[in-house]
This record gives sequence, structure tokens and C-alpha cells, in this order.
Amino acid sequence: MKGKVELMAPAGNFESLMAAIQGGADSVYFGIEQLNMRARATMNFTLEDLPEIARICKENGIKSYITLNTIIYDHDITLMRNIVEEAARSGIDAVIAADHAVMQIAKKNKVAVHISTQANVTNSETVEFYSSFADVMVLSRELSLQQMKNICNTIEKENITGPSGNLVKIEVFAHGALCMAVSGKCYLSLHTTNASANRGACVQNCRRKYKVVDIEDGHELELDNEYIMSPKDLCTLPFIDRLIETGISILKLEGRGRAPEYVKTVTTCYREAIDSYYNGTLNQEKTADWMARMDEVYNRGFWGGYYLGQELGEWTDASGSKATTKKIYIGKGNNYFSKSGIAEFLIEAYGVSKGDRVMVISNKSGVTETVITSMHVNEEGEKDTAVKGDYCAFPLDVPVRTSDKLYKIVESENAAPAVNTINPNAIASW
Amino acid sequence: MVTVIHQRKKCIGCNYCAEIAPDRWRMSKKDGKSTLIGAIEKKEFWIARIPSHELSENLEAAKACPVNIIKVN
Repeated sequence: MKGKVELMAPAGNFESLMAAIQGGADSVYFGIEQLNMRARATMNFTLEDLPEIARICKENGIKSYITLNTIIYDHDITLMRNIVEEAARSGIDAVIAADHAVMQIAKKNKVAVHISTQANVTNSETVEFYSSFADVMVLSRELSLQQMKNICNTIEKENITGPSGNLVKIEVFAHGALCMAVSGKCYLSLHTTNASANRGACVQNCRRKYKVVDIEDGHELELDNEYIMSPKDLCTLPFIDRLIETGISILKLEGRGRAPEYVKTVTTCYREAIDSYYNGTLNQEKTADWMARMDEVYNRGFWGGYYLGQELGEWTDASGSKATTKKIYIGKGNNYFSKSGIAEFLIEAYGVSKGDRVMVISNKSGVTETVITSMHVNEEGEKDTAVKGDYCAFPLDVPVRTSDKLYKIVESENAAPAVNTINPNAIASW
Repeated sequence: MVTVIHQRKKCIGCNYCAEIAPDRWRMSKKDGKSTLIGAIEKKEFWIARIPSHELSENLEAAKACPVNIIKVN
């Protein structure tokens, strides 16, 4: 019997790292400097952050993996080597690599390697090829459950072991954005803005509206959906039992570019789902609850990806999120009275009222949600409303720092959640 | 004279500027980012005064930059 699957969450910054820990992740992955698939993000960690990330992860008993999975040019080699060496020194658990140069240098530095989905591992022969470098391999996101299962079975049958001597572990994406091209191997962004998706600089042309024009007669073709290249988000929760039973070892959540509350919500839902699977309490009511919770945070609508073997064509019908809620910035932390458990914030925009659902995002304590049941404003004592410029205090379980931010959670314009198209009973057709 | 400004910190090391205007741009082997030759730093902005005969290729480099961190005035 295999051990429990590992839940791996994205950490785009310290807030998300803490949110992943709160959500119950077993491990996190993150990028450093420009050599990762979110190179464009302003919030990437730097080389100096590595020891701190490793320390936080160790303290919380989770593993940490660093993404180094872009195309690598000669001028990148020194930086890449520095990152690998610093990862080794800091005690980062593995490097996620797509380029052979990274695998080779990581091997030399005795840092464990995970083969990135960017390497497009789609068959067991490739697993065997990479097994001299890596103990963990992320499968291509375009495989079906049956294909995953065959690969996992072959690893066991043919005893394909990694450098550690143990059987190679298979990791798959469980949730998050999907690409219109085969896992990042897309040139659209490069052709329009010189921004290579394979250097982590994708401008997401696929997420925009398009029309098709007949060049000869100028007629515009009518399309049911103008977002003809933008896939919905992958969501495997409704069939997580079948996904786990393929024999995979690690479930990865996409979203280094997404907000901390997204990381916390999605990680929590998958944590509960995995635990429910192993204690035999997985049921439809629970799944419906998780889906409703995930509808509240950024999403483009959900589908089961290619895992269930459905036909292509699950395109989203909006440019951005279909989330049913959104957050509005209200103010920043000012003081925390630990004896009474009261947090004080300076209101910098809009205002808050008693009964409001609010969220505090912190690089130390992650994401904390609460409903304001009582509130003190300035020196005026108990009040129902606080406005811009006010100091407002209410009970909160976690300490607040001046770098923390307060948000109000409100319903977004998307009154109805996206129509999700996941048929867990679909049979893989190829 | 023409002024070229480079927000070097934001460079993602794509190599376009060094391909297009090799006399003015070089890929650093140290950190994989491009370096504006002859520039001095002012609060993370690297500024170089270049002769006008270099204008066209530097304009092209600025246009090609995928993260829009090169300005030519």
C-alpha cells in the first residue's frame, strides 16, 4: 500500500507561503529571480529569501521546492548555478527542472531534482530516461487518467527507481489554470510581444477575446464564445478518488500568480478532500461544499482538464475571474492588543461596518477571515461603522502587524458562479 | 546625443536587446540579465548617453523588449 499522496501548493510570496501552510499543504513550490515560469511577476522571491523560506518550511514540517524550469541560455548558467548552490546550502528539498543543464548541475550539487511538467513527460520510457536524474516527475497535463495509471503501473512492474534507490514518484496537476498549448509550449506571446512563455513571460494572449474574419470577403464569423482560446481551470476535486487511485504520489496546485486567499481556500479544500478519501468519508455533499468555496476565489470556471478524456472545447466565457466574491482594500494594521485579542486597523479606503466579512492578509500569519461582530472606533467607543481615516478595532485570533492589510469580502458582479463542466463518470476515450 | 534608460532589475534575460544592438547591450554572465554598456546607475535606473548613429538599433531593442524596460529619448 502506498503512503498518502502529498499535497503541493504554490507560494508566489511570503503571504501565499503562509496561506499554503494554513491550508494544510505538505509541500510548497516557488520561483526565484527570472528563471521560472512566472518571471514576469513582480512578487518573485530573490536569492536572499531562500534561507528564510527553507527555515519557515522546516519549522512547519513541510517540504520546499524551487522552480528552475524555463528554457536556459548560456548567459543564464551562472545565475542558475548560484540558485542551485544556494538551494543546496539553504536545505531546499528539490529543484524543479525542465532543462537538462539544470538537472546536471543539481545532480552535481546533490540537490534532488523533480522533472517539470515543462519537460512533457507523457510515457514510461521517458520516465525511465529521466530516472537517472530525478525521483519525482510531473506528468504532462494532457494525459488521461488511464494513461497516468499505465505509467504508474509500469514504474512498479519494471522497478524504475530514481537516484535515491526508491521507485520514481509521479506528480500531477490537480487544480488551476490550464494552457491552450501543451503545458506552456506556446509561441503566441512570443510572436505578438517577444515575451516567451517558455521564459516565464507569457502575456496570456489566449485569455483575450477574438473574432475570426474571412480575409477574402471581410465577413466576420459568428462565434458562440469569443474567448476561443482560453480554457477553463482544471479542477479534479469531483473525481479525486479516481485520480489518487491511478497510483500517483503528489498532487500539485497551480497558482503562484494568484492571491493568498486563493492559495488558502484551494489548499484547504484539497487537504480536506485527500483526508476524506483516506478515512473513507468522501461524499457528494462534501464535494459540493468544496466546489462552492472554490467558486468564491479567482477562477475561470472549472472543468476536468484532459484527465477524463473529454473532447476539447471547454473554453471560458470571460476574460478574468468567475469568482463569486472579491476583496476590497480597506486599510492596514496599526496595533494588536494580545491580552484582549483585539486588532486595530487604520481605515484608508471605503469603510467597514458591523456584520461585514473581512480578511487580513499577512506575510507572517497568512490569510485570516472573520466577521466583525463588535467594533470600537477611535476613542469613541463601540460603533457600527468606521470610515476612511478612522482607527477601528475588533476581535481577531491572530496578531496584526503594520505590514498587514485589511480587506472586505463582497459579492462580485458575477452573481451566479460559473457553469462547471466536470463529469466524473466520463470514460477516457483515448 | 540620445539617452537610453534601462530598468535592469526587471530584466528577464530574453537576449533580444543584445541580439539587436550588440554594441550597446551585453548579457551578463553573472546574473543573466542584460547590461547597458557605458551606463551609470541612478536609483535602479541605468542611464547611458549614446551617439545618434546608434539610435535606430536601440529604438528597435526598446520595441523588442518583452517587459518594456528600455526607454530611448
